[in-house]
Amino acid sequence: MKPSRESRSLIFLTVVSAILLTLLPAPEVLVPFKPYWVALVVVYWSLETHDVISMGLAFLIGLVLDALSGSLMGLHALSLIVMVFLVQRFRSRLRFFPPWQQALSVLALLVNDRIILIWIAVLLGEPLPTWKHWLPPLVGMALWPWLFLFLDRIRARMRRRKP
Amino acid sequence: MEGKRTARLMVYILLAIVLMMMDQRGHYVPRLRSAMELAFEPVFHLVGWPGAALQSLDQHTRARRGLIAENQHLSQQLLKTAGSVQTQASLQKENQRLRDLLEATQGRAYNFRFAEMKRVDLDPFAHKVWIDRGVEEGVFIGQAVIDGLGIVGQVEDVHRHFATVRLISDPDHALPVQINRTGLRTVAYGTGQTSYLLMPNVPLQADVSPGDRIVTSGLGDRFPPGFPVGEVERVERDGGETFAMVYMRPFAALDRGREVLLIESQLGSAPLPAEQP
Repeated sequence: MKPSRESRSLIFLTVVSAILLTLLPAPEVLVPFKPYWVALVVVYWSLETHDVISMGLAFLIGLVLDALSGSLMGLHALSLIVMVFLVQRFRSRLRFFPPWQQALSVLALLVNDRIILIWIAVLLGEPLPTWKHWLPPLVGMALWPWLFLFLDRIRARMRRRKP
Repeated sequence: MEGKRTARLMVYILLAIVLMMMDQRGHYVPRLRSAMELAFEPVFHLVGWPGAALQSLDQHTRARRGLIAENQHLSQQLLKTAGSVQTQASLQKENQRLRDLLEATQGRAYNFRFAEMKRVDLDPFAHKVWIDRGVEEGVFIGQAVIDGLGIVGQVEDVHRHFATVRLISDPDHALPVQINRTGLRTVAYGTGQTSYLLMPNVPLQADVSPGDRIVTSGLGDRFPPGFPVGEVERVERDGGETFAMVYMRPFAALDRGREVLLIESQLGSAPLPAEQP
């Protein structure tokens, strides 16, 4: 499947909105539940299109996110390339999973990412995060089917408009 | 194909780790980050907009009665502070007279500049906030930042119309402080938690107890002396150790503050007074 220009601009648009959603201030209560939006979007695109989101692009997106969110340069870059690598590796299997099974795989990906984050935090001398650290992957899993349907719907509509 | 991909992954991981290390040590990467932040300035304005809009909407729609009550409350508060400020003025004069008698340095007075934290959610591990004042408004690197209650942090990086502030809760941040009651000087380190700071270098037999006020000591010339930092919460004395562990609760609203003050250069700046034993 060759990516059309539409899908490229759509990828750009969704990634940008994911970054904005990450930065958008949430009410104090909701902050611990904030999902890793960028990862969800990146996983979707590397699952659905073949190699459009290369590891290099994932690295770049991660760097932009690092600069904007004030985290250590390379932190999100590392987390996103690992994620893209895993999705590409198991892509043929993941694609044919039923939605709930796919959501579970997304949970596994996000939990794995959190483990990497803890490893880096320990190297930096940060205190170990509390149980709240594990909430975003669960939220991400719960959001996954909806996000998947939503993005699929948008793509279908765009395809219909411009054959 | 598979092997090539794994090799690529390894290269990228290595690159990311090198970047992180360079950023941590302060080699080159902070400059790159600074350039990227400058390029992304519009994004911060864009993201901060909904929060600001919500707040102004809240202000517009608040009921008249609520406004009157708030106004009353504020004017009462103003009256109260005005009283203490008046006595402070006379105290300052008296202090100055005594200093003149001792031929010590001039007293200090500071100018403050108001700034607002940007409504942007940052990485929780970053211990950083953005404020909406930059070089154009006279912000400089190392400037001390306080809120209405105590020390918040120091300016780390300045751009044209915004700046980043490193919070005192950062594990890499050290703040020279003294205990107000005894004058004992020590250093307060960030812990990565906004709820407490740690002072690991207090001698075992030192006179410290919960409830003691901690203020800045002014050593190191970054933070001016005498500004409140926090309150001793807990003292752990373990006979086997050389030092007591003192936990302090910072006064400043590190995780939820919105308005902050930047401390301008002091007006009557003069060399530090001679140390009295």
